[in-house]
Amino acid sequence: MTTPALTHARVLRSEWHKLWTVRSTWTTVLTAAALLLGVGILMGATYTSDGGDSDVDTVVLSLYGSQLGGIALAVLGILVTAGEYATGMIRASLTAVPRRAPVLWAKAAVYTATVFAVSFLTALLTFLTAQVFLSDTDQAASLTDDGVLAAIAGNAAGVTLLGVLALGLGATLRSVPGAIGAFVGGVLIVPEILGMLPYEAMDTALRYFPTQAAGALGSATPLAGAAAPGAALLALFLWAAAALVVPAWLLRRRDV
Amino acid sequence: MIRAENLTKRYGDTTVVQDLGFTVRPGAVTGFLGPNGAGKSTTLRMILGLDAPTRGHATIDGIPYAAHTAPLTRVGALLEARSVHPGRSAYHHLMALAHTHGIPHARVERVLALAGLTGVARKRVKGFSLGMGQRLGIAAALLGDPATVILDEPVNGLDPEGVLWIRTLLKSLAAEGRTVLVSSHLMSEMALTADHLIVIGKGRLLADTTVDELVRTSGGASVKVVSPEASRLRSLLPGAGFTVEAPDTLVVTGPDAPEIGRTAAAHGVPLHELTPQAPSLEQAFMALTHDSVEYQGAPA
Repeated sequence: MTTPALTHARVLRSEWHKLWTVRSTWTTVLTAAALLLGVGILMGATYTSDGGDSDVDTVVLSLYGSQLGGIALAVLGILVTAGEYATGMIRASLTAVPRRAPVLWAKAAVYTATVFAVSFLTALLTFLTAQVFLSDTDQAASLTDDGVLAAIAGNAAGVTLLGVLALGLGATLRSVPGAIGAFVGGVLIVPEILGMLPYEAMDTALRYFPTQAAGALGSATPLAGAAAPGAALLALFLWAAAALVVPAWLLRRRDV
Repeated sequence: MIRAENLTKRYGDTTVVQDLGFTVRPGAVTGFLGPNGAGKSTTLRMILGLDAPTRGHATIDGIPYAAHTAPLTRVGALLEARSVHPGRSAYHHLMALAHTHGIPHARVERVLALAGLTGVARKRVKGFSLGMGQRLGIAAALLGDPATVILDEPVNGLDPEGVLWIRTLLKSLAAEGRTVLVSSHLMSEMALTADHLIVIGKGRLLADTTVDELVRTSGGASVKVVSPEASRLRSLLPGAGFTVEAPDTLVVTGPDAPEIGRTAAAHGVPLHELTPQAPSLEQAFMALTHDSVEYQGAPA
């Protein structure tokens, strides 16, 4: 038997165990997958070539459900961090790992791996299922077409990084309803309102806001008025990183 | 071994803990006693690094808690507030904590059995009674087989059998050479379990002493006297304090039983009863903390 001691790998193992031993994880993950697949099938089944959606990117069309599913996964991110403050579990977690920061990194890592894997696999399945209906329309496409696989992966990366942003908000605000409000209000709605303002510079800046950047990642063909995928990925990555660095800094200083 | 030095915690203008210094030694049960709101939980949280002291510091075996490479094997703690996800089972809760230190599955089963939770280990904590929740907290505290055990109000919510279990457990942990610090606002409970006492009130140290010593120094003993000539006896004992319990019953403070007996014999006062009374630990505690009770009931 090895001597008991704290290691980063063990904290990671602990967070993995925590993630899968509460029902809310299963509920949110399965809800997100069902929404993505369900909306995808709906889009495919109801599509007609002369319905006016011919200019919509095929991957974007098939994965419309990722916006709804993404909210369920963002809620999971918030539960992973803020949920521990709601239940008091955080006191047990930080007594076991009194250096604190490793707990946050482990949570983010476990969440990222899980959500990306689930999102990517479900998106693949959804795309292929939607193609069963779309194969005889002008939206017929295959995984080997230019940009399709990258867009499916990009969609999953977008959903994942938005979720990490939510996880970080949860760790910062330490309140589940507070963080859900901040995510829906600050991340989903505020950019829409800013977009209505009649300033050119605002439109350019908005391309790099989280939801817009995530949207740009999930299209096989370049979207009009969107950032290039590489720049969008970088922007979204920086948003997510900032959303983790702030609570990591606060975690060191605040009382539990 | 726990050592606190000049431990101080302020929230804005309110000082919750002030210049608290004490040492908790291994091999004994140390009671950490004080009225509600005295700063006990805050002190314990500072020892565990959950709250940062405004001033001063606390160490476990010479270094701060957070500096240990395997903290759960040095200190096991039961905190006052519940620290469990209600949707997780007792087993998975403990396993999640065990994973952080690579503590094996067998140890988790062991502490579950020790706390009497084996039968409900796979049930979600949501359905646990207060007492079962306390037992789970104690199982978590013992998970790392720690050299120091800190329990904040462990008997809260426990049934008589559970209280007895805690008493026996605390004594056996101390007998194994561990450092045991137990907080309580109930003196009577500490009287039965603690060897040593640290008493605080309004965040300040009031006493760092043994149970016997506390009783001895807290205003002394009294003598119960029953005599048909009680009022005459009173006049024969100038300088003594009296409480009249009944027309023929006095509680005398000041002179001890032999002195009262001699005086009564010399003046031919018949005595039906002459009983020395030690003050209860409860009274000693009340006397000590009277001025530092945070929430005092006003007379109606």
